[in-house]
Amino acid sequence: MSTVDVTGVTAEAGPAPVPDAAPGLREDTPASRRPGAARAWLRLLGSEAGLTFRRPRNLAVLAVLGIIPVLIGVVMRLFAEPIAAEAADGPGNGGAIFAQITGNGLFLTFAALSVLVQLMLPVAVAVVAGDAVAGEAGGGTLRYLLTAPAGRTRLLAAKYGNAVLFCLAAVSVIALSALVTGLALFPIGPITLLSGTTISFAEGLLRIGLVVLYVTAGMAALAAFALALSTLTEVAIGAIAATVVTVIVIQVLGVIPQLAWLQPYLLTQWWNEFDGVLRDPVAAGEMGQGLLVFAAYVVIFGSIAWARFTGKDITS
Amino acid sequence: MSEQTQQRRARRGRAVRWGVPIAAVAVVAGAVGAGPVIAAVQGDPVLPERTAEQLLADALQATKSGPTPMSGTVLQTASLGVPGLPEVSSGMGGTSPAALLTGSHELKVWYGGDERLRLAMPGRMSETDLIVNGDQAWLWESDSSTATRIKDTGEAAGHASGKGPGHESGHESGHPEALPTAATPQQIAKEVLQRADADTAVGVSSSEKVAGRDAYQLTLAPKDASSLVKEVKLALDGETFVPLRVQVYAKSAAEPAFEVGFTSVSFTPPAPENFTFTPPPGAKVKEQSLDELAKGLGADPQARQEKGGKIAEGMRTVGKGWTAVAVLPFSAQDLKGLAPQGQTGEEAGSPEAQAVTDALLKSATPVSGPWGSGKVVRTKLVSALLTDDGRLLFGAVTPEKLTEVAGR
Repeated sequence: MSTVDVTGVTAEAGPAPVPDAAPGLREDTPASRRPGAARAWLRLLGSEAGLTFRRPRNLAVLAVLGIIPVLIGVVMRLFAEPIAAEAADGPGNGGAIFAQITGNGLFLTFAALSVLVQLMLPVAVAVVAGDAVAGEAGGGTLRYLLTAPAGRTRLLAAKYGNAVLFCLAAVSVIALSALVTGLALFPIGPITLLSGTTISFAEGLLRIGLVVLYVTAGMAALAAFALALSTLTEVAIGAIAATVVTVIVIQVLGVIPQLAWLQPYLLTQWWNEFDGVLRDPVAAGEMGQGLLVFAAYVVIFGSIAWARFTGKDITS
Repeated sequence: MSEQTQQRRARRGRAVRWGVPIAAVAVVAGAVGAGPVIAAVQGDPVLPERTAEQLLADALQATKSGPTPMSGTVLQTASLGVPGLPEVSSGMGGTSPAALLTGSHELKVWYGGDERLRLAMPGRMSETDLIVNGDQAWLWESDSSTATRIKDTGEAAGHASGKGPGHESGHESGHPEALPTAATPQQIAKEVLQRADADTAVGVSSSEKVAGRDAYQLTLAPKDASSLVKEVKLALDGETFVPLRVQVYAKSAAEPAFEVGFTSVSFTPPAPENFTFTPPPGAKVKEQSLDELAKGLGADPQARQEKGGKIAEGMRTVGKGWTAVAVLPFSAQDLKGLAPQGQTGEEAGSPEAQAVTDALLKSATPVSGPWGSGKVVRTKLVSALLTDDGRLLFGAVTPEKLTEVAGR
């Protein structure tokens, strides 16, 4: 795998420093890769993150994500019995996990994530990652960003790093909100895994941490896809909507039995695999494969975004 | 530098840039495709050649000393071509054993020796576990948070392994009818093969790869042309002779109609924690005998059919080996009478069973001949003929063979 990678990149590095026609198309020359380059990139990332996390729209998205676990928890607390009975009736659709919440507060985190990972979380990620380049282009600020001697590759990397940070923040907000709600409303104690084994509360917390990291990786893969779309258009809402529509289409494809052979390649199928953490022993094989799939998505769509963004004529 | 040259260079630079995503796609596609390719490249026979007789003798020898402790993941794929099997419900990751009849399913297996076995069937946010440890057996269903203690565990272990790799492998076990009394594995192997030779072409290859392990593959192909089975392939691990994969090929398709095999396997003894089970606090704990359990899980229409003992009583078989045909007294009313029976109780699969029965009847094609008339249902591996004079004939044979038997 790495050999092909290397040849691809070195073949690329050759013609890159050639002076190009469009403004700001110049790549990082060796001279610009000073030891301070990493720090400069971090500063760029920091300013991007500052913008993202100060934007009212994004804060509203995070707030919505944080409220949903509270809603689920309160509803479960008020109407626990009928819902649990109903959930237990539908076998195999994951509904039974809700029945577990009333027994243990920690399960609210897993239940909330399993609900939100279907659509809400992808929408939130699409809003930030789809807006990353297209939003600047549409607002006419991309040109000014590129006058800074940062280089397009580094700018794109900062944009992606920022999107990943947002993924982590979004997943963490859900997990923390669910954790606090769960602890406040339901009994806590050792938790029962899907395999019927019981683990201590502390280990339960550790496993929540693993789930957060895994789901973040899954969302980071979606962010790469959204970023690639974002470089193709100057209309941010187009990239965002296209990402969300794609997620929905993939999910529909995923439940058609005739397309079962397609499932291992679909991103959304692997998001749900975080339940491997709840098994004993942890389903490391499946989750590792999921991470590989995420990495493949990041590599493919990241490189598409890079090829498009570094070779694009910026007119606005 | 002229403007034209600059534009040309920019264009060329852009074209080269797009080489990176193309290379990325190629790398990923290569990584995805690498598994089979590597397996094919390494496919040279590393195992010593063995004849079918030697292989069978070695396998029997290995069974005598007890199966090796192991763990692994089993993938079961069925494409039996049964009309109207509700595939969607299984697509959602249902853990009902009846769902095993269609689509792809994953089972995790841990075997620790000394009657210690654990099977886990993962679903989305759920899991069904069967844990057998000596004289204790538990069935754990996370969906309903129920732990069931199974009485009569000697049979439970057999039942459990029947659900695993041995499932639907009746074609092999059908052959050594009443194992010969020969003492040594070599003698048994010889005798079994001699018997099989009458209606089966047996082949062996020593260059198979299953779950990354070198394996022997035994190919059993029926000689009778009226069989719907093209061949049955059985892969045995090259070192331990544990069966790693069973594939049943139908004549009508290039892909196996039924396949169950390990996708990953390890012969290091699994951790002992896997075989201990204490019902978690808050779980419903039940105690059931195997029969009651089979009723609870019995979404399987075949199982229900078997339970209709009085129907089965009148059953007889015509012919033997691959082309044996079962004949039993049965009518369309019986079939309809079976379905509502499933609707009592809380069996999840009963509406499915109803749907299957309806679909089966709808897909049946009417046939007639000197023997009378009836309806024929054909799937990839099994045909069934329901005659108007109240007989049901079925077997792994062509419909023509069925009508021929009906005429006798």
